[in-house]
Amino acid sequence: MLQPKLKSKVRCTDLDIGEVTKVVLDPLSHEISHIVVSMNGSGERQVAMGHVQTVTDDFVQLRAPSTDILALPPFKREDYVTTHEVEISHLEDNLHVTPGEVLVPLPDLEKNVKRRTFFMNFTHVLGFLVGLPIAYPILRFLMKPMYADFDNHWLNVGNVGKIKQDDVGVQFKYKKKVKEVYMPESEVDKNVWILRATPELLKKVYKDKDMEFRDARGKALWINKKTIPYVAFSGKCPHLGCAFKWRQHKTLGQVFLCPCHLSIYNAAGQVLDGPAPRGLDALPVRVSAAGDVEIIDMEFKAGTKSQIRII
Amino acid sequence: MDSKQSTPVAIPDHQPSAIEKLVAFLDERVGLKEMQAKMLNEPIPGGSRWAYVFGSILLFIFAMQALTGILLMFYYVPTADHAYASTQYIIHDVDYGWFLLGYHFWGSSAMVVCVVAHMSQVFLWGAYKKPRELLWLVGLALFGVVITFGFTGYLLPWDQRAFWATTVGVEILDKTPIIGDFIARFLKGGPTPGQMTLSRFFVLHVMILPASLMALAGLHLFLFRVAAPAGPFTGTVEEIKAKTDYFFPRQIWKDMVGMTFVFVGICALALWEPVVLLDEAAPDPGDYHPEPEWYFLFYFQLLRLKLFAGEFGQFLGAVALPVAFMILLVALPFIDKDPERNIFKRPIALISWIAIMVIIVLFTVASVINREFLD
Amino acid sequence: MAEERESMSPTKIGFGILWSACWTGIPIKAVFAVLAMTMGLVHFEGRFGLAVLMLFASPVTVFAAPIIIAVFETHFGEGIGLPLIFVMSIPVDIWALGLVGRTFFLERLRKEPPYDGLGFAIWWRAALIGTFFLPLLWWIVSRVTEIAISASHSMAEMDSMRHLFGTGLPIAERIGLELTIWGSISSAVLIVLAVIGISILGQIIRRMAEHSRPASENYQGLITRWDLMRVPGDQGLLLTSLAGVGVVLSLIFWAILPATTPNPHDCCKRPEVHVEPVFKPVESLNKNAQRIASLAAQVEAMEQHKAEAKGQKEKGKGKAEGGTAKDSSAKTKP
Repeated sequence: MLQPKLKSKVRCTDLDIGEVTKVVLDPLSHEISHIVVSMNGSGERQVAMGHVQTVTDDFVQLRAPSTDILALPPFKREDYVTTHEVEISHLEDNLHVTPGEVLVPLPDLEKNVKRRTFFMNFTHVLGFLVGLPIAYPILRFLMKPMYADFDNHWLNVGNVGKIKQDDVGVQFKYKKKVKEVYMPESEVDKNVWILRATPELLKKVYKDKDMEFRDARGKALWINKKTIPYVAFSGKCPHLGCAFKWRQHKTLGQVFLCPCHLSIYNAAGQVLDGPAPRGLDALPVRVSAAGDVEIIDMEFKAGTKSQIRII
Repeated sequence: MDSKQSTPVAIPDHQPSAIEKLVAFLDERVGLKEMQAKMLNEPIPGGSRWAYVFGSILLFIFAMQALTGILLMFYYVPTADHAYASTQYIIHDVDYGWFLLGYHFWGSSAMVVCVVAHMSQVFLWGAYKKPRELLWLVGLALFGVVITFGFTGYLLPWDQRAFWATTVGVEILDKTPIIGDFIARFLKGGPTPGQMTLSRFFVLHVMILPASLMALAGLHLFLFRVAAPAGPFTGTVEEIKAKTDYFFPRQIWKDMVGMTFVFVGICALALWEPVVLLDEAAPDPGDYHPEPEWYFLFYFQLLRLKLFAGEFGQFLGAVALPVAFMILLVALPFIDKDPERNIFKRPIALISWIAIMVIIVLFTVASVINREFLD
Repeated sequence: MAEERESMSPTKIGFGILWSACWTGIPIKAVFAVLAMTMGLVHFEGRFGLAVLMLFASPVTVFAAPIIIAVFETHFGEGIGLPLIFVMSIPVDIWALGLVGRTFFLERLRKEPPYDGLGFAIWWRAALIGTFFLPLLWWIVSRVTEIAISASHSMAEMDSMRHLFGTGLPIAERIGLELTIWGSISSAVLIVLAVIGISILGQIIRRMAEHSRPASENYQGLITRWDLMRVPGDQGLLLTSLAGVGVVLSLIFWAILPATTPNPHDCCKRPEVHVEPVFKPVESLNKNAQRIASLAAQVEAMEQHKAEAKGQKEKGKGKAEGGTAKDSSAKTKP
């Protein structure tokens, strides 16, 4: 783009007609569209850049004669605003029409580049060091309730007198007391499935190994002996946590059936059909001499193949 | 980031690094280099000074208060039945909760201290005079916001101290003629303090006041840039010119050191005196003698004088005096037209400032002494 | 300021160097103090403000503090952390005094700094002056305060006889009056003594300056010179080391910060509004008011200490602020 300088002389093919008093920009293309020439006092004229042949620092050469230029309509200043009175982004990025620069001296102290970089970097270091000490406390602060300790209390859920038949799932509903931090204690309804198992079923459940339960630190918590006939299953389906039922299936016989996504488990808790990733979760169970059934309530992550305890 | 000069350093065969390419990308679209230069390369006549750091420190303290405040909100519950228990939970159970709450608590004291320091610095340097009158007024509004922050936050733990200090404070506001009862009921959310009060104070403290402060602070910064730093009040032209440097890096660095020191100081206070709550708020103050935060103690003591007893006396002390003082502060740039900024040549200003500081200190100490006589 | 070079008063010299050096050192000393507090090596109880002031002025207090503690049985804090912090402050003060000293010589006195170990030279002189002068100042101000307090007590009694109120001056007015009387007396004495101490240091420094060559550059040159003195030769090394030290200290901080509140749960403690916080604003303000108010602070703290010196000994590590018998009844609750 040609950059005619303000105050440079304008020369037609025949004579000098004045100087460039103003430059007009096109707001869309951001290019110089016109120059305004003083015409030596006889009324400014707006000259399109098409008429401009060459541009140097001192003068602008037009390719038309002066009569043509004089014939142009006079320049109407009221149709224009300065670039400071309108917000057009990047308008003056490629504009170099001022002959020279307006400058301000650099303060003596700022002339040293090393000084600038030193204090800039020092500032960054300090800023980093202010944030660092509190980063870890903040993280621990926010994480406090996320990995709460497990509650390993024995809960009385009912009496074995309720169980009339072997190898049949019986739902025991009970209320669990819950205290969430400073909230008042409340009760939630929970359920657990207890079976009185025959030796064959016990073999399927335990596979000749006692079932060990450990706490968060790995210490042994309880062992379900493979000889005790009572088995307790968590009432939540390992697929996505729904409560399941004990039903008569068309072909598979008496099974645990989850109504949400139709996972089916046999009496031993093994998956027979459906999307469940693992079998039913067995819970620590003990039965007193009087027949009171106690369990330790645990909940496990739903939807995973391995058993990960969360409550 | 070193390119304050407009002409780029022309090193032949210099392959731009990834960062330089990114900067060039942003600069082309946003005018980053020019914007950065305009923001950072502000010459400070007479050079960067430690006396000027208080404004930036206040911004830093506000940022830290916002951060710790947000963290506290993860556990704090603003209801009358859970406010106390949740605060105790933060103090005793949540990891480092005591530290973050302590930081928030002492940070508010630090903010009041720095606000007074900042106002004093501006006053003593005469930087409220023309053309900085608007700056001063916005600053006074910010001062009001900071004081209100302290007042509203104090109630939130809902222990005896919080509850009764607020009750007394709102009662004082009630003494305002005509609109006093309305204001008091508005703040209390009813005739007496209760859940409604807590909710209102909470909204004020975490939403309305932060928004106001950010808006006013932005305006304050804008006005400051437009008016330019006032600089020192003594010194020949030669001296001032010799020491002049830019806002960046030297003043920013001083601000940073100041911020670091304040950060360490608040940590020290939080370690020295962790927040301990009294009993939960109850309708009967019992053995507890209500007291406001320490920065209100001087005023608390002032109101104990017999001069301010009786209905007219209460009006005088609770309303007329503070209002008159605030009006004086607001009118200050318009009354004091003398362009002289050297504090040692403004005896009235110097003496008034010293007198006010001495009175505040005196009455604060007096109120501490007075505690022994309360039983 | 250009004209005062030769005739600068010793007080101005002493104060100019001491004020800047103390402020230069305090951020670093504060970091040590916080670490010591986090580790539980030091507990400040009620004397926190006084301890902060002593640490702030450590060039003069470093040896005076143990003397004052021993002779006057004041306690700024409990625990080995306190002497540790003061010991750590010695290299910090030497460095700060060196930096500030060189700057002061160049800018204000227009002289070349006399020798390389300027920091140490000023430091040991300041510490020496402090060792002798500060305990003396402490003793004088304590005595004056005691006398002034009892004088103001009797003045208030007398006044109340003549007063309109038959029962005597009301409490608040009486406290205010007494405080004003003994407060101004004590503050005045404290200020005068402090100024004397500072001017002694100033005279010593002025003598150092008399033996120094005048600096050759013009004003701009001098300013540029001391300004660039702050830019290290090897920036990378300094900054990396600083960052490294900071990271190490942060890691230590994380390891030692107690996760749950270090205070026993005391549900009914009175609000701990100490004298100390009052004087926080003072530290950042104009030096005149700073002096007045900080001295009032020291005086008040001393007065309180005097009032309960016996009780404090008996209580051992108990809370020490404003703790008279009456006050403690309001503090405790079943």
